[in-house]
Amino acid sequence: MTASNPGINRRDVLHIAAASGAASLVASQVDAASDGKDRPLEIVDTNVSLFHWPFRRLPLDVTEKLVKKLRSLGVTQAWAGSFEGILHRDMATVNQRLVRECRQSPELVPIGSVNPLLPDWENDLQRCFQQHDMPAVRLHPNYHGYPLTDPRFARLLQIATAAGRFVQVATLMEDTRTQNPLVRVADVDLGLLVDQVKRVRGARVQVLNWRPRSPLLEKLAAVPGIYFDVARVDSTDGVPQLMSKVPAGQVLFGSHAPFLVPEAALIRTHESGQLDLESMQQLLASNARRFLGKGKP
Amino acid sequence: MKAGATYLGLPDAEQLSSYRIWDSYFTPSHSNPGADGSSRLIAEVERALPAIRKSRFEKACYFPHVGIGTTTDAALEKKLRANPDLVLKPLQRWPKLLLGMIQLNANDVKTSLDALNRWLRDGPMRGVYFTGSGPGAVACSHRNMIPLVERIASLGGVIMQHTWFKTGGKTGPEQSTPAELAQLAAKFPEQEFLCAHAGGEWQKGIRAVREQENILVETSGFDATAGFIEMAVREVGAKRIVFGSHLPSRSLGTELGKVVGAEISEADKRLILGQNYRRLLKVEAS
Repeated sequence: MTASNPGINRRDVLHIAAASGAASLVASQVDAASDGKDRPLEIVDTNVSLFHWPFRRLPLDVTEKLVKKLRSLGVTQAWAGSFEGILHRDMATVNQRLVRECRQSPELVPIGSVNPLLPDWENDLQRCFQQHDMPAVRLHPNYHGYPLTDPRFARLLQIATAAGRFVQVATLMEDTRTQNPLVRVADVDLGLLVDQVKRVRGARVQVLNWRPRSPLLEKLAAVPGIYFDVARVDSTDGVPQLMSKVPAGQVLFGSHAPFLVPEAALIRTHESGQLDLESMQQLLASNARRFLGKGKP
Repeated sequence: MKAGATYLGLPDAEQLSSYRIWDSYFTPSHSNPGADGSSRLIAEVERALPAIRKSRFEKACYFPHVGIGTTTDAALEKKLRANPDLVLKPLQRWPKLLLGMIQLNANDVKTSLDALNRWLRDGPMRGVYFTGSGPGAVACSHRNMIPLVERIASLGGVIMQHTWFKTGGKTGPEQSTPAELAQLAAKFPEQEFLCAHAGGEWQKGIRAVREQENILVETSGFDATAGFIEMAVREVGAKRIVFGSHLPSRSLGTELGKVVGAEISEADKRLILGQNYRRLLKVEAS
């Protein structure tokens, strides 16, 4: 995993990039970031998934291809969940495969799947944390069939928080208008998240794939433990608008690749030209690094 | 031509310029231009300009209301009828960037036919937009569409039809699906139609229009779901795909990202991003 290196200079960057076949990319980023810092923007993608989307093949659903694409875009770390976690019920093997796959690419950080409606789900959770040392688990409450007021979600949040880990809640994976008619699920009701997070001291939840809307955004943003990604934050200035409404540090870059084209979320961060370089770096990596490092005792 | 460097997902300026991007679906203040007839629309164009400039768009086509009952704002409708110059304000302000296609009211055929004379025959508009919602919308299978399409075809106009295939079916009778557009297009084999949003659920949308060769697929209006452009190129061919930005309510990332991130040739990207649309507008040979 490539950590941010404040001492790195342009020649070093180009040397490393040439070795990995990404020289033109990195050179362009170095040139674009020509404010004297002389290094490319680091990118941490907090929202990718491995393996096969259940309803169709995706161009990047082979891990090697996905990683190659992420590298070409300058992504140095990607938090990877598993599409298998949506519908499979043998979560131990889902998470085992994920860990094995992530070992092949130093950029990938495995994020396990847990379905708290399954019997003995606590065992899956403990394996994620103790056996696999995952920093987080990813939940799909809509596909697994529970509201966020379910006491098992509260219990899961307590266990994760006590273990110094965080929880990702996928608000949706696919627009309800385009879902398979036999597998239709509504978006997760995030209005129920506010009280749940407030009740667990130190809890950290990252909301994935949500398209922010008022007044719910303001309610969620007022809770210090709730973080957001930008995978589906649309409109030409949607990302800077979100950052202006949410306390500093609580918006993390995420692409929802390979379901969505990874370029989409990246371009949206800078197309309006409203974010300065420092804000860009916070969004693209620093906030995620800080978030990841917060929990563990 | 080989792809060059990218910066945070966006091709470099030289590459973007080489694409010669013509945006067929620019939606500043799409449902209402503002009570005074233009201010909200102009503000929304300005909001989109950083993205438009960054990606080197050559042209963007928007869809003005012309006072024929396509909004729910009676005062605005009256104002636009009394003062058609209001409609022209954005075109006058950005003459190099903008081109327009009027929104028609298919519930009012006579008024729409008059509007076609005023705005399409006499210019400067280049075609029409049939919306999927609001007081001017009807399903494109409706009989009212026939005289309108006949007239548009006789004037050489471009037709953009809003379409969606929604899981669970239409949420209103005024909405259109790609399958209905295919039926309409079959009646007018000499006229080309743009299937806006590829039906949203594009796996079905592309299939529905695949055999109807006078339908081109427009790319905007839904998440940047991977594989869309690849399937469209495979099934209908790159010559039948036209880029739309849906700016500023959607984004360059979502919409341009679909094309620049697709696993297709650079030649196909140039067709999709501008060449096909210019052919449709008869400003460039095929």
